[in-house]
Amino acid sequence: MSMINKKLIIAFFSVLILGIIGLFTIDQATQSRINNLSVISEVPSFQLDNFDGTSFTEKNLDNKITVASFIFTQCEGACPIMSTNMGLLQKRFSDSDALQFVSITTDPDYDSSSVLKEFSDKYSSKNNWFFLRGDINDVVKLSEDGFFLSASLLPTGHSTRLVLIDKDRNIRQYYEGTVDANIIELQNDIVTLINKG
Amino acid sequence: MKKQLFFQSAVVSTILSYFLIFVGGLVRVSGAGMGCPNWPKCGDGWMPPTNIDINQINTTLAWIEFTNRMFGVILGISIIILNVLAVFYFRKNYNLLFASILSLIFVIVNGVLGGVLVWFELNPYIKTVHMLFALILVSILSYICIKSYKMINTTLFKGLKKNPILSKSLIVFWILIVVEILLGTGIRTNLELVSIENPLLSKGELLNALDSYKYFHSFLGFTLLFLSAYIYSKLRTNKLYIARFLGIFILGMIIVQIFLGEMMIFFELPQLTRLFHTWGSSWLVGVVIILYNCISNEYDK
Repeated sequence: MSMINKKLIIAFFSVLILGIIGLFTIDQATQSRINNLSVISEVPSFQLDNFDGTSFTEKNLDNKITVASFIFTQCEGACPIMSTNMGLLQKRFSDSDALQFVSITTDPDYDSSSVLKEFSDKYSSKNNWFFLRGDINDVVKLSEDGFFLSASLLPTGHSTRLVLIDKDRNIRQYYEGTVDANIIELQNDIVTLINKG
Repeated sequence: MKKQLFFQSAVVSTILSYFLIFVGGLVRVSGAGMGCPNWPKCGDGWMPPTNIDINQINTTLAWIEFTNRMFGVILGISIIILNVLAVFYFRKNYNLLFASILSLIFVIVNGVLGGVLVWFELNPYIKTVHMLFALILVSILSYICIKSYKMINTTLFKGLKKNPILSKSLIVFWILIVVEILLGTGIRTNLELVSIENPLLSKGELLNALDSYKYFHSFLGFTLLFLSAYIYSKLRTNKLYIARFLGIFILGMIIVQIFLGEMMIFFELPQLTRLFHTWGSSWLVGVVIILYNCISNEYDK
């Protein structure tokens, strides 16, 4: 075999090996994204009120992908950013019925239904975003025991994380609600859940 | 002996830099660019975490990004060795010495730019500059390869007929292929931006939503096809085997790339095709530099 043919064969096999490495790596990356969304825990039963007076329980999480947050309307730091980001996601996924949003107030004394309605008008552009209030002890219990998010020194001490919940009420992942890169990540994970269930 | 060693060192650096472009492309198509959320460290340490991490680092993506950084360091060391050899053996040969130092500057700057890219959370403009610098780096290294090869094999390149039009068309080809690759990364960036605003669009719909300059990418692709056919026709009867071979290589690679480009439209951008579309094109950048220096012979002056 001539030198040239030998070199061509080496080149061919190098490209082939690189292709296999590439395919394997891409597959691993895709798989890792799905694994990264493994079930963390099931949301326990709860009962809160939406600002329109209707009751909202864990059953309302069924058959919808839910993005949940803890906020209060007088909060000046993280909450406006978190809520703007949730509004952004609401707009971007406005064509999909698979998604809903839930914000639970950590200041039910001030955040009456009418205050929450005003807040909703400011941030929400579709009727798939529920602003919930209830007894403060229930909210603390839901935050700490249900979502594993700290809730000390309320109202200000609520978590700034957004929670991704799947169609079967399972918590799948947490995202820092004020960090753009995490919002993009959340968006990609929502797409993964919509496509893969 | 000295020349041989320097030549081999240049070849190793060039191959490593092409390999690094491959790994960098793999980082992009697998979306692992933010696998390590910080730079130069990866997570809390210098190595990615090995087990499931409480800080939500996806370890698979972290290792892909880390591999890219590791090969960057290996290329850096290889180019440092090249520079040591250049300083020891070619202090009087300003072309080679200058080119070696320039390659060292570009590899360092591009390494840091990789870090800037992470700090700016994969800003698309920095991504494009990162790619452009990689293309310039392989061009410089290819230049060093062919120049040192010619020093070893002077007789091979004696008495060649010059062809100024062919030389100029190779310069035009180099500029066009670099523009074409950057246009391609621009299309990719636009696809990503459109998909952030419209996460539910299918890939086919995304392509339709793109600006009209995707047609410019195709147009330039066919322009390069005609140009490479011209270059091939001029080199077909060249005395140098290497010139004939590279002529065929350029034409063949352009045809393969147009084929891969069309495949990506019809099969909705499979990631592996994207990787080889970019990587194969980047080979042309260095090959044209080698060919240009093959047929412009300074030893006949």
